[in-house]
Amino acid sequence: MTDATHGTPAQGGDRPAFVGYRIAGAIAAAVLFVLLVIQVFELFDNDNHTVPEVRWGAPPISSEQSGDSSVVAGEILADRAELQAPRAEFGPSPDNLRTFQVGSETQLVEEPIEDPNAFLTRSWSDPSQEELAMIRGVDRVEGVSSLPYVGAEIFERPFARDWRLGMADVATHLGALAILGFAFLLAAVLAIRGRVPITRGKSERRVKRFGMIERATHWMTSVSFLMLALTGIVIAYGDTLILPFGDELLGQTGWLATWGHMMFFPPFALGIAAMFVMWVRHNLPSKLDVAWLKQGGGMFSDDLHPSARKFNAGQKLIFWSVILGGGLLVVSGVLLMFPFWILSINGMGWAMLAHAIVAVLMIAIILGHIYIGSVGMQGAFWAMWTGRVDRNWAVEHHDLWVEELERGKGAGR
Amino acid sequence: MARVKFLCDTDRCIECNACATSCKNEHEVPWGMVRRRVVTINDGRPGEKSIAISCMHCTDAPCVAVCPVSTLYQTDIGVVLHDKDTCIGCGYCFYACPFGAPQFPRSTLFGSRGVMDKCTYCAGGPEENGSQAEFEKYGRNRIAEGKLPICAEVCSTRALLAGDGEVIGEIYRERVLARGFGSGAWGWKTAYYPQEA
Repeated sequence: MTDATHGTPAQGGDRPAFVGYRIAGAIAAAVLFVLLVIQVFELFDNDNHTVPEVRWGAPPISSEQSGDSSVVAGEILADRAELQAPRAEFGPSPDNLRTFQVGSETQLVEEPIEDPNAFLTRSWSDPSQEELAMIRGVDRVEGVSSLPYVGAEIFERPFARDWRLGMADVATHLGALAILGFAFLLAAVLAIRGRVPITRGKSERRVKRFGMIERATHWMTSVSFLMLALTGIVIAYGDTLILPFGDELLGQTGWLATWGHMMFFPPFALGIAAMFVMWVRHNLPSKLDVAWLKQGGGMFSDDLHPSARKFNAGQKLIFWSVILGGGLLVVSGVLLMFPFWILSINGMGWAMLAHAIVAVLMIAIILGHIYIGSVGMQGAFWAMWTGRVDRNWAVEHHDLWVEELERGKGAGR
Repeated sequence: MARVKFLCDTDRCIECNACATSCKNEHEVPWGMVRRRVVTINDGRPGEKSIAISCMHCTDAPCVAVCPVSTLYQTDIGVVLHDKDTCIGCGYCFYACPFGAPQFPRSTLFGSRGVMDKCTYCAGGPEENGSQAEFEKYGRNRIAEGKLPICAEVCSTRALLAGDGEVIGEIYRERVLARGFGSGAWGWKTAYYPQEA
């Protein structure tokens, strides 16, 4: 990037083509397309059953028997369960038939199932006729409990089963789809549309766009958002992304992510509030924005440059999604950090779902912001880095702002 | 192969809380957490019922499905166990659980949750069976000794039944036939047959 932005100024009409950017965009698009296909496959491969991963077995009792017997283990447990039957109906206590465990020696052992599959889960979900007759209907059942614990009075809340769908399917799968899909779109735009050049080439003159405090706030918020996003991704997708590298690693990154997620929340919240105060007056919607959006922000042609003041409609959209989305994330996150202080368990379930869904959408939106602010447009990055932008860039993208600025200062720089 | 379950006969439960107490004692469950509890519905009104509830060790367990770090896992007898070494205290299992089983100590900074604890069906955890480490993290491992959970075995009215689902189902049906009434297996639809209407 330094090459393209710092290199010799392009002569008038001699626009940089940014071929390297297009190639990189195409490669990224191809990789993301593959990931996207994998994700779509994951959505429909129907493997979201809970599958038993560990089996119980009775150790071999003779040398002829090989391996632990799960049949014997099952018999031991079934015989033990029969002890609970009333003797009047089931005959004498069966303890003369089999030796029941009274000491504490180990009788059964566990070992991992080599090739876990959903066979057991399916057979369990299929009740016999007799069992069907025993089953009661379902509703949220609440009573009282003499035990002094939060939530002890709730017997059953079947809603939780649906929460799992919301979390495991909607938030996680569709979230991955949104992030990967949007990233693919951006890479494709870079490959096909190419990097947006400064049409008139670089001028030698620069104008001041953002002050020190504005830039510091922006970078504080963005670094903390990136860290929150990364730690959040570890929490939400650790099972997919990190587990293949080992249980141990997942446990450690998981803890790091949990605490990191808490740690980066205060600067993020502070940054959101500061940005709101600093920039809200520049971000109120106006008629210009409608015209800007109608022309697609001039995205589709190098020569089309709809008028804009300090912030154009696209930037206003980013601003409001950060303020509203980020605000929602902060509020729901704080509610979740203090379990039961304000919300009940159902309320916290909704807060968690909202937090997860808003978070994945925010990641997708911010990807777009990062794209257009760095590789997507020549000259845009320096607005937030040095605070000074090329005058030609400013005239092309923020003509009214430049006019106001120069009128205010007298026709100087 | 046995598929172990819990069944609480609400017509027999007298809310003595022996199951909750013996569970806390057997596993030395820390202060502020409870693996089994007794809920009384319609307290003081006609149709009052008491029922002991803990983790039901669900079929297609939702907690296992949402766990982001593979802390929770299920065994081939249906028991859902947890690994305290990988748990990050995110609380997903807690929101996904229909029975309020996962418990969190609330002693850590920011009011965050700490490592989850839940009913193990008296089957310990990933540590070696019967080891001191297993006892300290998960409580006693009675299944490895060929025994059933203490809460059911201690129940004075035999309201709480544990063990192979077919065996305890049969015991319950015989009982209902003998006495002529029964209010059904509470929680079984949610726990074991979520797909059935």
